[in-house]
Amino acid sequence: MIDLIQNELMKIFGKMAGWLFMVVVVLAVLIAGIIYLKVEGPEDPNWRQGIETEISNLESQLEQAPDEEGRWIEDQINELQLYLDQNINPDATSNWHFMNDVVTGVGSLVTLFVVIICSSNVAAEFSDGTIKQLLIRPHKRWSILLSKYAATIIYALMMVAVLVISGYLVGLLLFGSGDFSMRIFEVTLEGRMEAQVGPLFFKKIFLYLPGLLMIMTIAFMLSTLFKSQALAVGIGIFVLFFSSTLGGIILMLADKYTWAKYLIFPHLDLTVYALEEQIMEGITMPFSLAVLGIYYVIFISLTFSFFQKRDISI
Amino acid sequence: MSQYALEVSSLTKQIGKKTIVDNVSFKVEKGEIFGLLGPNGAGKTTIIRMIVSLINRTGGTVTINGYNLDDSFKLAMNELGAIVENPEFYKYLSGYKNLRHYKRMALADISEERISEVTRLVGLENAIHDKVRTYSLGMRQRLGVAQAILHNPSILILDEPTNGLDPQGIREFRDYLRELASQGTSVLVSSHLLSEMQLMCDRFAIIESGKLIHIASMHDEKETLTSRIEFEVSAIDAAVELIRQHFAEFEISRISGNKLSILAPREKVPLLNSMFVKNEIDVFQIQTVKATLEDRFLEITNREKKEQNL
Repeated sequence: MIDLIQNELMKIFGKMAGWLFMVVVVLAVLIAGIIYLKVEGPEDPNWRQGIETEISNLESQLEQAPDEEGRWIEDQINELQLYLDQNINPDATSNWHFMNDVVTGVGSLVTLFVVIICSSNVAAEFSDGTIKQLLIRPHKRWSILLSKYAATIIYALMMVAVLVISGYLVGLLLFGSGDFSMRIFEVTLEGRMEAQVGPLFFKKIFLYLPGLLMIMTIAFMLSTLFKSQALAVGIGIFVLFFSSTLGGIILMLADKYTWAKYLIFPHLDLTVYALEEQIMEGITMPFSLAVLGIYYVIFISLTFSFFQKRDISI
Repeated sequence: MSQYALEVSSLTKQIGKKTIVDNVSFKVEKGEIFGLLGPNGAGKTTIIRMIVSLINRTGGTVTINGYNLDDSFKLAMNELGAIVENPEFYKYLSGYKNLRHYKRMALADISEERISEVTRLVGLENAIHDKVRTYSLGMRQRLGVAQAILHNPSILILDEPTNGLDPQGIREFRDYLRELASQGTSVLVSSHLLSEMQLMCDRFAIIESGKLIHIASMHDEKETLTSRIEFEVSAIDAAVELIRQHFAEFEISRISGNKLSILAPREKVPLLNSMFVKNEIDVFQIQTVKATLEDRFLEITNREKKEQNL
């Protein structure tokens, strides 16, 4: 099996794309870092004074403001006061802030590239005709397919590692070494949540992995079933970019129809659980993981049973 | 160890209600080059793909060097090497890396020496580290042979191997096969190019409409074969008339004003000649045209058709 996986990795890295995608991820992180630096600017050491003057400004506005606007200004004052009370600089920048705010976002680029590599790994064997030479070897078909799947998982993990490491290095370079456990506020649907920036980043990356695995598995299944890379990549990208939108719509449906919460889309992005307990009433992380698990078993068994039986007649 | 490199029995493939391969059985001996002949669409490729287990069998068994494909799949597959249609490679890898890829897939360990040995055998030692993308079709075909024989298989299976090769390439390819066969590797080769098969095979089977309709050894064929004999005579009409009277079973065709060709056993040539002379027809030239497999093939397939019509 190790030999077969080695072969598949050789094929992934034998093509330019295998390396190119890694370089693109590093570049994307670097560019994002430079933009983040320009937008955020240098850290103000007297940030408490800044907030205090802002609060007194708002308070003077509040006296003249009408009722509607007044309530809004009052909310803002309370928020700012919270930063002061908790001693959390809202504009703090460090390499860990950068990782948490920006590097996690580059994750969708990683998913995209993994989808492309994963679907081309199977579909290209068909389009190049090499599948014929591959399947006349003394190996059961399922083990050959499994080696391909394992190799793309290894590639995906390498990409995530490239993302995290390049994020750390670029952060270090541009923002210096920051406090790993610095406290921050993040806005969620459930309001402002306090968290430690470093652990929050790793929690997000960890929760990003199941979604990556699922989208990758969908692409792998489609390219095995339909032998078409275009279709697999197309649907993979669709799932990647529309799952949050679809997930939102489906969650609205789920209020009315209970079956809607068993659809895959609301569960693909688990990073929301980094801060929230549940996406909506009754949908918690164990529930999402169970739904994903069931879909995973279905996808994998479809892929493997189909590949085991199909006639290769290209 | 088995006496046969390959035994195929009652091989059948049905897709829906259509029978594509119908109860085909044959055996390939050790060191033999065995041909599968037939027109396009006769089912040769389907037979080969069933043997190399690219497509499922509806019925029948395949035994490779004594290992049954159903009971001991891995051992059986390890005994065969194949090129199915065009030799396809990972074009973005070098020839060497392609070979390493297949080396890793073999059951037994294959040494680096074996890779260079095979590379030398097919004459690719100067290009083996170039990307396959840069190879000519002939070079790819040779790399195809290299990957197929890398693990010392008992039988080499080749589906339409000379497709797209130039005459020089075809000749080289034939020499490789002869060399391999002389070392004890059997070869199963399919083609619709009959003249090509004639030069390559020891024995052949003719496949038509999914059925195996004839198996013969090349050597038997050469002896019993009717030959095409060309006569150049002074009076062609009289000559044709004479043959029709005395040898109604011979097939005659006019080639030109004074030349005719007769399909007849070679031993009848003196008889025909003396018959012409006795009837005052001058004979200027007698020429035996070597009977080709093509004639034989057409003869057999035509006979089949006639029998079916009856």
